[in-house]
Amino acid sequence: MRSNRAVRVMASIAGLSALTLVAACGGSPSQGAQDSGPTKAEKVFAKLSKLSGDEREKELVKEAEAEGGQLDLYTSMTSDVADAVTEAFSDKYDIDVNLYRASSETVLQRILQESGANFNGNDVVETDALEMYDLNKEKLLADYEGEGRDKVAEDGRFDGWTADRYNLFTPSWNTKMVPKGQQPTSWEDLADPKWDGKLAMELSDYDWYLTLREYWLKQGKSEDEVDKLFEDMADGAKIVKGHTVMGELLSAGQFAVASSNYSYLVQQVADKGAPVAYQPLVEPVIVRPNGFGLMKTAKHPATAMLFADWLLGDGQKALVEEGLTPTVPPPGTKNVLESVETVDVDVETLGEEEKKWSDRYDKLVENGTVVDQ
Amino acid sequence: MASVTTMLRSAGRADAAGWRRFVPTPKVLIVGAVIVVIGYLAVVPLYYLLWGTFFGADGFSLAGFGRAYGNDRIVGLVGNSLWFAFGAAILSLVVGTGLAYLQVRTDVPFKSLFFAASIIPLIIPGILYTIAWIFLASPDIGLINAALKPIFGGAVVDVFTVWGMIWVEGLHLSPLVFLLMVAAFRSMDPSLEESALMSGASRWTVFRRVTVPLVRPAIVAAVLIMTVRSLESFEVPALLGLQNGIYVFTSRIYFTLRTYPPDLPAAGALATGLLMIAIVGVALSSLAGRGERTYQTITGKGFRPRPMELGRWKPVAGAAIVLYFALTVVLPLLVLVYTSFLKFYRAPSKDMLTSLTLENYQDLIHTSSAMTALKNSVLLGVGSATIVMALMAIAAWIVVRSRIPGRKLLDHLSFLPLVVPGLVLGLALSFVYLRSPIPIYGTLFILLIAYVTRYLPYGMRYAVTSMHQIASELEESAQVSGASWWQSFRRVLLPLLAPGLVAGWIYILVVSFRELSSSILLYSPGKEVLSILIFEQFENGQFPVLAALGVVMVLTLVVLVSVAYKLGAKVGLKQD
Repeated sequence: MRSNRAVRVMASIAGLSALTLVAACGGSPSQGAQDSGPTKAEKVFAKLSKLSGDEREKELVKEAEAEGGQLDLYTSMTSDVADAVTEAFSDKYDIDVNLYRASSETVLQRILQESGANFNGNDVVETDALEMYDLNKEKLLADYEGEGRDKVAEDGRFDGWTADRYNLFTPSWNTKMVPKGQQPTSWEDLADPKWDGKLAMELSDYDWYLTLREYWLKQGKSEDEVDKLFEDMADGAKIVKGHTVMGELLSAGQFAVASSNYSYLVQQVADKGAPVAYQPLVEPVIVRPNGFGLMKTAKHPATAMLFADWLLGDGQKALVEEGLTPTVPPPGTKNVLESVETVDVDVETLGEEEKKWSDRYDKLVENGTVVDQ
Repeated sequence: MASVTTMLRSAGRADAAGWRRFVPTPKVLIVGAVIVVIGYLAVVPLYYLLWGTFFGADGFSLAGFGRAYGNDRIVGLVGNSLWFAFGAAILSLVVGTGLAYLQVRTDVPFKSLFFAASIIPLIIPGILYTIAWIFLASPDIGLINAALKPIFGGAVVDVFTVWGMIWVEGLHLSPLVFLLMVAAFRSMDPSLEESALMSGASRWTVFRRVTVPLVRPAIVAAVLIMTVRSLESFEVPALLGLQNGIYVFTSRIYFTLRTYPPDLPAAGALATGLLMIAIVGVALSSLAGRGERTYQTITGKGFRPRPMELGRWKPVAGAAIVLYFALTVVLPLLVLVYTSFLKFYRAPSKDMLTSLTLENYQDLIHTSSAMTALKNSVLLGVGSATIVMALMAIAAWIVVRSRIPGRKLLDHLSFLPLVVPGLVLGLALSFVYLRSPIPIYGTLFILLIAYVTRYLPYGMRYAVTSMHQIASELEESAQVSGASWWQSFRRVLLPLLAPGLVAGWIYILVVSFRELSSSILLYSPGKEVLSILIFEQFENGQFPVLAALGVVMVLTLVVLVSVAYKLGAKVGLKQD
């Protein structure tokens, strides 16, 4: 009898857990979102898109107020940038911004989890190109039209999302360890054996790898030549996880040259007096857009649109003040990209073949060889 | 025997009246509730993980295993991983056990240092601890190497090797072993050692033949947890190993979850590998725990732990402690404190003394979410530590003392969350609670559930280890004297378990402040915790601010833990 009851207790846990799970799990953990007609938010976007100029702003402000003066924003901006941006927006329109911040991969995963359960957590998402591409592929982003978007260069206007800032990949170096004139002047320079043991590469920069590779191929180099260049770079390279660590260890002198850091991170450390530099820029500068999109399921669609308009207008000033590269340079600011050769990250190839390039890059940094799959 | 009689007695009336008129006693209710809660917490993430591993969009598939293990370098990977994991486990075990023994059982000097040495390395976030060691022991910029260079003519230590990884991870883990072993030694009757000494055995023989066998359940538990922990650890392999191309098993989990869609089957396949290792470990540990009477040293006979005199070894032991304290606490903490006063890191020199600044601390004060995060972290830390240890006190009784069939299953269940990577736990919980009718998603509760789940295994080890050492005769006599199950549990067992429970509570409190991998996915605006703030400062590239935050965290937790020790000393076995 006793043991029977105990068995029943044990069985009931199994039963209970199973029940909860069955109740909870409508489908497989990797299930995507479904597609149906225009949502309520999409109708609002469509209606407001027809307006322009002051009339549009006035109407957006009015409706945003009616929506409760709240904006739910998910972003992978670093927190100092995110704080500056949301504060500037709140100050101007008296709207409370509820901010969720995480790495771009986590932002993507969170939105996918939420949309899979029909939970509308955010109105706007702002993150890296690759994740924005994926979100659009999941059909979660609404169309956004307006004068702001029209001002963005054409290669920054994607289906479902719009670039609001650029991250620039460029080599940087420790000025104490690399005397003036000795710094790398081309990407090919990084393959020079003189940097063996002194060059750092980042663990996950396959977007940089893919772009530089395509660029070299377009320049007429053969596959073998390109692979050889990367192998020579990786040979003797110190592999670092994270761009922040890369900047920090570069200024501490753990290595002399960092292959692919973001220019603004290096600038931040340099502003504090650290012996690091990235100028004169090695060309072409590799440009990766970061963008925003409006959610089809936004609870505050007008507020979301107001934020989007603002981000491509006055918001660009806030980005410049934080040392970022805007997509619509505000009047009076210098466009750093005007006078240098740039090459854009191929977002579509990256999005469609992410696994392939991630694996290839992974193998490159792991043993310094390029292995075809 | 005792429990069978109790069970029979407590439910005796109900028995006579048959099932239908059964009125559950408090014991059945409590025990049942604990089993259900633990089962639920452990099964949900595991179910999600295994389902994700074996069932893709096209039904059952083992393709994840192919992607996870079908790699020509997998042998080297596993080899490195095991070398690293066992190395770190053994280092932490030797150091932690040795120190715990000295602390509890001998008249070693500098006992007050132990307190700091046992918790500070736990508090410092892994990423900070590792970077501090880079600044200390890098062949290029390490301060230790710079200091020793004039004597040896070159770099003496290199942190970017497997040995360096073992060193950093082992030292970072040793406080966990220390806490676990202190509890075990505290509950051990020293008269056994004394008899051996009296019979002419040397101190070393006594330690080897008497002391170690008596604390075997704790040692086995420690090795098991340390090995799995090291196999899962990410910061040390990522920051130290990768630089020279030393790859371990878990860097893989990171790679597989990095891409979109996250390769859950492959990550799950790797976690399943960890699960297998853990199952073997648990099986071995229950084998080692067989014949539990062997370890019972808290018996009906009174004993009073009396420190052993070290005699001429006293200065040696004292020096060892100072050295350990310097290596695990002083050096890394000094680097952090030093960095927290800089604008950017550079090696100490005369002219930099003028550029020290308090800016980073000011930045911290002006971070709007700092106070919210501190409050949430304290709430979650205290909450999860209390819930886990309360559950585990009962669970340990069920596993060790009761005769409920399948009780071992509970032990194994509570171990499962250890093998579920934090990010997967976050995915699992958001998946379940986004669909739950009770609005838990977006509140602090979902983080509490995550933390309780993550720390179940540690709580279980602390509680079960202590329970193994308490003889059932104490409980039996209480019950013979007419105490109910609950009375004897509360008045007899709980006070005897206290050292283990307090140690577990402190451990969970401290490590919960660092939890990031599942928090990052589950937190909501306004529900930030300290580890999120650390992550943000880290992403910002504000390493000196991060160091300042680390220093603040160390101070906060030292205060909290001091209070816990003081309270714990009141309920636990009196020392000396």
